[in-house]
Amino acid sequence: MNRFGLSRRASLKLAGTTLGALLVEAKLGKLAYAKSADTLVIGMDISDTNSFDPGHQFVYSAPITMHATYETLVTMAPGQYTTLLPLLAESWELADDGGALVFHLRKDVKFTSGNEMTATDVQFSFDRLRNLKDNPAELASNIASVAVIDPHTVKIVMVDKSQPLLNLLVGPTFVISDSKVVQAHGGTSAADADKTDTANKWLDHQSAGTGPYILSQWEPNAQIVLDRNEGYWREKAPFKRIVIQHIPESATQLLTLERGDIEAAMNLTSAQLDGLKDNKDVNLIEGTSLDFVYMTLTSGKELIPELSIKEARQAIAYAIDYDGMIQGLEGGYATRPPSFIPNGLGGATAELTKEIGYRHDPDKAKSLLAKAGLEKGFSFDLYYGDASVAGTTYQLVAQKLQSDLAAVNITANLHPLDQSAARSKFRAAELPSFITFWNPDGPEAWTWASATVQRVAKRVRWTGAPLPEVTELVNKAGAAHSPEEQDRYYRQYMEALIDQANYIVLFQPIYRVATRTSIKGWKLTAAGWQVDLYDVKPA
Amino acid sequence: MLPYIAKRSVAAFFMAVAATLAVFLIAHMVPTDPILAMLGDLAAANPDTVARFRAQWGLDQSLLAQYWIFLDGLFHGDLGVSIVTRRGVLEDILQYAPATFELATAAALLVVLVGLPLGILASIYRDRWVDHLARVVSLIGVAAPTFWLAFLALALFYGGLQIAPSPGRLGIGDIAPPHVTGFYTIDALLAGDYDTFYSALAHLVMPAAVLAASTLGLITRTTRSSMLEALGQDYVRVARAKGLFEAQVVAGHALPNALIPVVTLGGLAYAELMAGAVMTESIFAWPGLGRYTYQSAVALDFPAILGVTLVVAIIYLLMNLAVDVSYALLDPRVVRR
Repeated sequence: MNRFGLSRRASLKLAGTTLGALLVEAKLGKLAYAKSADTLVIGMDISDTNSFDPGHQFVYSAPITMHATYETLVTMAPGQYTTLLPLLAESWELADDGGALVFHLRKDVKFTSGNEMTATDVQFSFDRLRNLKDNPAELASNIASVAVIDPHTVKIVMVDKSQPLLNLLVGPTFVISDSKVVQAHGGTSAADADKTDTANKWLDHQSAGTGPYILSQWEPNAQIVLDRNEGYWREKAPFKRIVIQHIPESATQLLTLERGDIEAAMNLTSAQLDGLKDNKDVNLIEGTSLDFVYMTLTSGKELIPELSIKEARQAIAYAIDYDGMIQGLEGGYATRPPSFIPNGLGGATAELTKEIGYRHDPDKAKSLLAKAGLEKGFSFDLYYGDASVAGTTYQLVAQKLQSDLAAVNITANLHPLDQSAARSKFRAAELPSFITFWNPDGPEAWTWASATVQRVAKRVRWTGAPLPEVTELVNKAGAAHSPEEQDRYYRQYMEALIDQANYIVLFQPIYRVATRTSIKGWKLTAAGWQVDLYDVKPA
Repeated sequence: MLPYIAKRSVAAFFMAVAATLAVFLIAHMVPTDPILAMLGDLAAANPDTVARFRAQWGLDQSLLAQYWIFLDGLFHGDLGVSIVTRRGVLEDILQYAPATFELATAAALLVVLVGLPLGILASIYRDRWVDHLARVVSLIGVAAPTFWLAFLALALFYGGLQIAPSPGRLGIGDIAPPHVTGFYTIDALLAGDYDTFYSALAHLVMPAAVLAASTLGLITRTTRSSMLEALGQDYVRVARAKGLFEAQVVAGHALPNALIPVVTLGGLAYAELMAGAVMTESIFAWPGLGRYTYQSAVALDFPAILGVTLVVAIIYLLMNLAVDVSYALLDPRVVRR
């Protein structure tokens, strides 16, 4: 016995047990990685996901799952936002002198329940969406009514035929759900659905669509599990199971990708992605977004008198070193549209930006200041939220702007705000200048253009001329029947906006995702669902 | 003893409710509208939609009426509906709390099993290598920021040496055991599923150790200094003079007297482990209450903030109660007085 009254045997036993426990830990660590090859694991921050009910879902991370489990009438190929492709609808045409859309549905599509997909399901899905009156219902505001012509033909009547609708139908809001199943779980498409529909709870954890995968489990802030739809109407999906694992920290995502525990990491920072360039097991996939970061300048005399002078706003626009911002802050992974329509839509391209957009020209900025009677420069308050876009904080963007503007004697006083507070102040038109972010409601240029002459115009206190003329241009573009005609009107609209200088678009990020070489077919899209998981296959 | 506990419990509950009032008032002083922050850009520009959502959460009523809605719900066992997740707050808390409790309890066990013996040994072998080791361990624990320690541990044991399992509560894609307590380890044992039990245990070790680090440092230091004081007392000299084994002297005479400050600190530390796991949960992808609390605070999700406040306040008050009761057990003079 030793000083502690423990026998030698007892001491050895204690030491042995401790060692054993450590070894078990180590062995289990290894065991836990044994992963089946027909399972795809994606690491992603899914903390914003709060529903998988098509009538309620309206966040950033959920559409990947929505697009894999449900399908829309029409769709678009990745990176191609002007050509519509058939999906649940074989063909479609305008009717009623352009005031309605008629869709002819496929006849061989079954829901995962085994029910046949018919025009009744389309009618039910769109009526329920509208009558739930939640966030996504706003996107359906141009639908006046949905009528069943025959079991495989459906007609959608528009409220205003000068406003587009067709391109919006590709988004995860307009998916077709199984009316019988949804109704069996308390769903309704009646006018009072916002009060009487109770299918939400069920739809959050199961899917009722026609997609290649089925939602089989969702644990908030933990994981989403999708299983293959064995009765899918096209060729069966390649993976038996897809797990979207919630990994909020990008550094943790990087580790799990390098270890091979996940096949795709969705939220890596620019520096982390650059560090993977030489990794032979990893592919870096790029995709230009339809998102952009922009800065507003008020026309409101009562906020900052100098900013109400158009030339003073233009001087700010010509004092900004756009290329320096894209290279310095985004590592070159960004492009820049001419104005408030992102490159890839409405005829906006990087080439057009060179032709008609702002450029870094301090001399021009100084002469514009002189024209405004502000030779000595002026100062204004620049607000931004404590958030970041594509790994770049608004703080950094604001500091870059501050130093660029200082070169032409314009002083930007920086005011960081809590992001929620910043957004509600901006929406109340209280901020003279604000740096923020625009992400699409759907791949339809009109949603950008109409916002700038309606609700966003109010936020920058733009009320007088040429607002009516610009609004007229936007309406003409929306009602145009040929892409050429449409692009012509949008170009005039963008030129007017550039002259007006209330909105200065700073950069449009190119998003990157890292995938392991064990998978292929991962193509990024900006149409609203990030990636079509049906295209992803084992390499 | 029992009436004493009952009286303290009732008082504790009302103090927890009072804490929600403080949080409610502070949250309403922030000049942000949670509805405008939650709604999409289009919906936020539609006055009808905004009005409908404001009415749904009672935000169109006076402050007093809003707080009354909360209290009324509370006494009916309803904590309201979260503005962000749109689920019942109680439902959300029940979903996330077990993960955090399991993590905090494992961390607390580590603190007791490692910190306490280390502190005792450090006091017995003062200025010898055990003492130096204890000093280094507690210094690292107290001084190192949790997020740094968490990431270092993950990069070393998971990324580098590859002996630790992936982040998360179970292996990626594993199905959780049938829900009974929400503690995966216990639920797996109850279901007789030993593979899941070992997996849950293995996944628990590293985050629990990281979470325990700072508390462990604190407890080691406190135990050591408190033990040193006790070991210098006359009754310890008497015990040794009687010829008792050193183990009996330490465990029977010095330790009970040295434990009182340790228990006080331990109680508060356990409550803090549960309330302060945000960083550890983020890095280890642990689906717990910490991240839920953070998300609610950022979005000014009033019902969720109030619900979490209530839970945290109750935990603190219960721990205080437990500490008071354990005083009575450790020191009979407390009851006699």
